[in-house]
Amino acid sequence: MPDRYAVLPPLWAPRFFSVVAPALPHLILEVRSDMPAWKQAVIISCSIVIGLFVSAVILIGSGVPTADLIGEFAASVFDVRGFHAVLVQAAPLILVGVAASIGFRARFWNLGLEGQMVWGGIAATAVSIHEIGPEQLRLPFMALAAMLAGMGWVAIPTLFKLKFSVNEIIATLLLNYVATYFLYDLLYGSWKDPSDAYPHSAQYAAAERLPDIGFVNVGLPLALFFALIVWWLAELSRFGFYLKFIYANPAMARFVGVPIRSAVLAAVLISGALAALAGFVISSGSTGRLTQGFFEGYGFSGVLIAFLARNNAAAAAIVAILVAMLFVTGQSFQIFYQIPFSMVQMIQAIIVMCVAASEFFVRHRIRIQRRG
Amino acid sequence: MQSVLLSWFGNLPPLAVPYALASLGLIISERSGVLSLGAEGLMLVGALSGVAAYLSFGGYPLAALGFAMVTAAIVSLLFGVLVVLLRVNQVIAGLALVFFCQGLTNLVGTIADWSNHTVAGLQGWALYQLSELPIVGRLLFTQDIVVYLTIPIFLGVAYFLNRTNAGLRLRSVGESPEAADAAGLNIYLYRFAAVAAGSALVGLAGGYLSLGVAKIWMAGMTGGRGWIAVALVIFARWHPWRALFGALLFGGIEALIPQISAAGIRVPQYFMLMTPYLATLAVMLWQGIRGQIGSDEPAALGQPYVREERT
Repeated sequence: MPDRYAVLPPLWAPRFFSVVAPALPHLILEVRSDMPAWKQAVIISCSIVIGLFVSAVILIGSGVPTADLIGEFAASVFDVRGFHAVLVQAAPLILVGVAASIGFRARFWNLGLEGQMVWGGIAATAVSIHEIGPEQLRLPFMALAAMLAGMGWVAIPTLFKLKFSVNEIIATLLLNYVATYFLYDLLYGSWKDPSDAYPHSAQYAAAERLPDIGFVNVGLPLALFFALIVWWLAELSRFGFYLKFIYANPAMARFVGVPIRSAVLAAVLISGALAALAGFVISSGSTGRLTQGFFEGYGFSGVLIAFLARNNAAAAAIVAILVAMLFVTGQSFQIFYQIPFSMVQMIQAIIVMCVAASEFFVRHRIRIQRRG
Repeated sequence: MQSVLLSWFGNLPPLAVPYALASLGLIISERSGVLSLGAEGLMLVGALSGVAAYLSFGGYPLAALGFAMVTAAIVSLLFGVLVVLLRVNQVIAGLALVFFCQGLTNLVGTIADWSNHTVAGLQGWALYQLSELPIVGRLLFTQDIVVYLTIPIFLGVAYFLNRTNAGLRLRSVGESPEAADAAGLNIYLYRFAAVAAGSALVGLAGGYLSLGVAKIWMAGMTGGRGWIAVALVIFARWHPWRALFGALLFGGIEALIPQISAAGIRVPQYFMLMTPYLATLAVMLWQGIRGQIGSDEPAALGQPYVREERT
C-alpha cells in the first residue's frame, strides 16, 4: 500500500535536520482511511474553541474589555431580550444555511445568496407597494413572490453553468453586486420612503408583517419547517439519492441514467428560493420595510453554516442558532464599542479556517519515530 | 467628442493597472496549481497597508507600495499553510481568506483611524520630451510610475514563466505534481513561493488602487475588483499577455462610466455602476459559448498534492 509509512515531505522534516541532528525524532505522516465519529467531533470542537480563542484575542486587542466580551456573548443566551433577538436572528440564518447546503449537495457553489436575498426582499416589497392580492393573502403572496424572484435570479448562473460551463463561483458573486446596485436604484429612486426621504421603502402595513406566535414571530417556525423539508428531500427522497450519486461520481451517474441536469437545476432553484425567503423574513419579520443593507453578512454565513453542518439541513439549523448568537453579540459590539459589524465575518472566517485545517488531522496520522 | 475620447483614454491606464497586476499575480499562483480565490481580500490588505504605511512613515508612496506587497504576501502565507500543507479545499480556504481580510481590514482601519483620510499618494510623472508629443504625449507619458512599471513587470513574468527553467518547473508543478515530485522538485516549496509572489502582485494592485487611483482608504473599497481579476484569469486562459488585454478592456469599460454621464447621456447611475460586473459576465458567457472554458487550465488546478496518495 503506498499510503503507509510514507516519509514526510522535506518541508516538514528538512534534510538539514537529519544531517545536523540525526538523533532528532523523525515525523511520519500517514493517510487515515477512517476515524471514529466521536474522535472527529472532539477534533472539530477543539478547532472551534481555538478559532473562538483567536477571535477573542483579536477583539481584546482592539479594545473590548475581557469581562464584557464574555458578558455580551452570555447575554445572548441567558438574557430574555438577548435570547429573543437570537431566535429572531436565527430564522434567516437557518434559511441561508439550508440554501447553501442544498446547493453544495449538487456541487454548485451558490455564493449568490445575498443577491437572491436582495431579490426576495425586492419582490416581497413590490407586492406590498402595489397591494397585490387581498389583505388576508398578502403575506403568502409576498413569500411566494420572493421565492419566485430568488429562483429567477439563481437560474441565470445555473443555466450559464449547465449550458456553457461558466464558473458559477464567479458568476453568482458578480450577480450579487448587480442585485445590490439594482436595490440602491430602487431605494434612492422610485421606492424612497416619501414620509422621511431616507433610502428605504415605506413601512409595510400591519397585515404585511410576520405575526408573532408565542415568543417569536412566525419566521423561525417557517425556517425550521423548510429545513425539515430539505432534510427529507436530501436524505430520504429519490431526489436526494440522485444528488448523492451526482456528488459522489457524476460520470457513473450519467451512465446509469440519473437525470443530472434536472436534479442539479432543481437543487439550485430550491437554494435560490430559500435564500430569497430569508430576505423576505428579514424585511417582513424584523425591519418591516426594505432597507439598504439588510442582506449584508448573510452570504458568507450561509457558506459557513453549510460547511460546519457538512451540508446536512438538520445540522444546519442547529449551527445557524450558534451563528445567530455571534450576530447578536456583534450587533451589540457595534453599538457599544464602534467595532465594525464585519468583525462577525472575520470571526466566521477564522472558525472556517480552523475547522478546515483540523480536517487534516482527521484524514492523517502523524507518528513520531525515534531514531538512534 | 474628441475631448471625451481623450479623457477616456487618459483615465484608462490607472483603471486597467489594478486588474492587470492582480490577474498577473493570480496567474503566477494558479500556474503552480493553487486556485486563488482570495484576491479580493488580498487587494484589500494591500490597499489598507499601503495607505497605512503612507500615513505612518511620512508619505513615501513607493515605500508604501512595497509595504503593501510585503503585507499581502505575508497574509497569503496563511492561505498557503492551509491549502499547500494542510490540504484544505481551496475554494473554502479562498473564500475564508476573503472574508477574513474584509473583516480584519475594516477593523484595523477603523481602530487605527486610517479610514477616510485623503492622501496625496502617487503623482503623475511626465516623461520629458515624450510627454511633449501632440495628443499621445499627454495621454501615455504623464502617468504615474506604476503604470510605466506594469509593462516591464509583465515582460518579466512572461519571460520567467515561458523562458526560464524555474518557470518551466513552476508550470510542471501545476500540470502534474506527481511527475514533478518524481523529478525531484519540492512541490510544497514551489507552491508556497508561487502563492507568496503572486499575492505580492495582488497586494501591489490593491496598494495602487488606494494610493494611485482613489487616494483614500475606505472599508471594502475594492468593490469586487478581485473577483473580476479571478474571472479575467479564466478569460486569459492563464496567459499573461491575454490578461493584460483583458485588463485594458475592463479598464476601458470602467473609464467609460464617468464619460457617459459627462457627455450628457442620462442613464441611472446605479445601472452605470453595474457595467463592470455585467461586462465580466458577458465575457465569461461569450467564452463559454465559444467552448473555450477550461482550455489551457493547469491540470492540477485546485487539487491538493498528497504524496502519500501517489499511486
